[in-house]
Amino acid sequence: MEFKLEAHRIVSISLGKIYNSRVQRGGIKLHKNLLVSLVLRSARQVYLSDPCPGLYLAGPAGTPAVAPPQQPGEPVAGPPPGWGDPPPPAGPAAWPEPEPQPQQQPEPEPERPAESDGPGAESAESVVAVAEDAVMGAEAAAAWSRVERPRGAVTVEGSDVIPEGPRAGESQSVAPPAVCPRKRGAAGVGGGRTGCAMPGSTPLKKPRRNLEEQPAGGEEEGEEEMETGNVANLISIFGSSFSGLLRKSPGGGREEEEADEGGPEAAEPGQICCDKPVLRDMNPWSTAIVAF
Amino acid sequence: MAGAGGGGCLAGGNDFQWCFSQVKGAVDEDVAEADIISAVEFNCSGDLLATGDKGGRVVIFQREQENKGRPHSRGEYNVYSTFQSHEPEFDYLKSLEIEEKINKIRWLPQQNAAHFLLSTNDKTIKLWKISERDRRAEGYNLKDEDGRLRDPFRVTALRVPILKPMDLMVEASPRRIFANAHTYHVNSISVNSDHETYLSADDLRVNLWHLEITDRSFNIVDIKPANMEELTEVITAAEFHPHQCNVFVYSSSKGTIRLCDMRSSALCDRHSKFFEEPEDPSSRSFFSEIISSISDVKFSHSGRYMMTRDYLSVKVWDLNMEGRPVETHQVHEYLRSKLCSLYENDCIFDKFECCWNGSDSAIMTGSYNNFFRMFDRNTRRDVTLEASRENSKPRASLKPRKVCTGGKRKKDEISVDSLDFNKKILHTAWHPTENIVAVAATNNLYIFQDKVN
Repeated sequence: MEFKLEAHRIVSISLGKIYNSRVQRGGIKLHKNLLVSLVLRSARQVYLSDPCPGLYLAGPAGTPAVAPPQQPGEPVAGPPPGWGDPPPPAGPAAWPEPEPQPQQQPEPEPERPAESDGPGAESAESVVAVAEDAVMGAEAAAAWSRVERPRGAVTVEGSDVIPEGPRAGESQSVAPPAVCPRKRGAAGVGGGRTGCAMPGSTPLKKPRRNLEEQPAGGEEEGEEEMETGNVANLISIFGSSFSGLLRKSPGGGREEEEADEGGPEAAEPGQICCDKPVLRDMNPWSTAIVAF
Repeated sequence: MAGAGGGGCLAGGNDFQWCFSQVKGAVDEDVAEADIISAVEFNCSGDLLATGDKGGRVVIFQREQENKGRPHSRGEYNVYSTFQSHEPEFDYLKSLEIEEKINKIRWLPQQNAAHFLLSTNDKTIKLWKISERDRRAEGYNLKDEDGRLRDPFRVTALRVPILKPMDLMVEASPRRIFANAHTYHVNSISVNSDHETYLSADDLRVNLWHLEITDRSFNIVDIKPANMEELTEVITAAEFHPHQCNVFVYSSSKGTIRLCDMRSSALCDRHSKFFEEPEDPSSRSFFSEIISSISDVKFSHSGRYMMTRDYLSVKVWDLNMEGRPVETHQVHEYLRSKLCSLYENDCIFDKFECCWNGSDSAIMTGSYNNFFRMFDRNTRRDVTLEASRENSKPRASLKPRKVCTGGKRKKDEISVDSLDFNKKILHTAWHPTENIVAVAATNNLYIFQDKVN
């Protein structure tokens, strides 16, 4: 349970860092963002180590993150952290868990009532309490073994953490990543952000345009672009859902501590972060975040 | 003079007795960001000490000549030259601001009366010449003393200009500007032992330059993957071997070090040696990868060892043994349980440097709360000292500090939760031959000396 809460918190913090890195002086720092993405990946894997049917509102059957075989000693078959979001060769392979086994989902469920106690329930995140399953110690340990992967493992399905979302989205024939942010943002504006101008909308637009153009720009032509375009895509993707992340979700209050990371960017408390139409458009990964 | 060579071996052992010597910088509580020191480096003789700050300025201190009447007193460092090395720039094409912060300073070996140093920010390396002028020519024929041109027709007699002494003036002039070679942020520069070339490293590439040639450089390491999504590690530091001009190392964010030989191939993507310590699976956490990232790598003066600094420890490696370091020194292991908080407040990304003493018998690195740590490799003893204004009485001995990690806090100990994480010592330097250390604490530069008994 604590692992999951911790993982959730770390994911929020990490997203905040990536988001803030856009506006830092001196440009996006590759090293720091790489490290943050590694943490994000680890935390995400722990967080998603438990299956939760409620999380995936829009994903088609067979999409990801079901309880993997829990064998602590097993080496991980997952790919190394990726940076971009081109389509993967195989949809199911996009997820780090080796084989999706939907039928395993019901197994941990009976444990849920027994485990929904303690810190989780006390925290303001009732949404999380609903969404998450019990994190057994063994599962957490298995999650760690999953996180441990041989160094230099170079499975190049290319999928991981951040880009999972849009890529998985692609595998489900959702709009390509370049379109996703705009689409999501627009839906967000239309759907949930009643009565408020998106505080980040204006500053969001320009960097998003610039940064999204970067990966499209020829890399070899003349001056080389600093290829943080993928990071920028990630940021723009999470930018829109991130500002929603920090608003009070309909399911319950949010922990105040998350607000500090994106406080300046998401200044309207009480806004409904995302409506169902938006959730439907989102891929499961973003949905998982929003479901916080 | 005690302290030269021998690592400051005093009769009776290797124990250092560090004393406060000087502190430079404003006392203000409100520290301007531009004044934060970001680089500290002694020159090859130790007579000059250069600092760079976030505002792009370089300040050079010079050691005063020793007072012959008091042979045991050491020379003080006073300001010798100050100049603006880098200015903030804006890359309009990429909508990127380029910080003027000085990332590294490296001195060139002295070859004539002038001093040369390389300073770099994120994108541009500059070679500066610092020269003294203490004489001035007087008695020109074609111009007045104040510089106004004289009308040639008015010159009735010719004279030979003569040199007259003047007040010492120290001039710094940029002699070379090495620009536009780095797409990513430059983190290291290192002058080669051939005194003709140097390397510069950014997150993904290492370039080799000739000091005389600014319009081209050779790329010798390129770890940029064809597909940026496959990026798993970046270069964090690089340095030339002190004696073998064909050998250099670079460290990575994964905690590995690669030693490359430029004789083996033009492009050193394939390393000659690969140094990595197997990870301890029991200490795995969310942040294991971050804390294993190496923030600094330094060869020993002998060239036989190298030292790496990661977030919690300093490791000494024997170049002949790639499997594991020969020494591991814990800098602040008590922070291991605080990694999540340190991640939140970004402290976990702090890049600490480390340095050797002249004889390679001791190493030093910084920590938080203005603490810095020294490890004596021979006696296996270590000490924690603090750079603070409270201990700033001249020649006052520094009292060893201790961090209480749990349980009952003894008197004079400080608990982990009381540490000030805004007071971090990232940059330290050790005089090449004597036991004098320079410690940068935010905007102040402290100089400590070993007491001569």
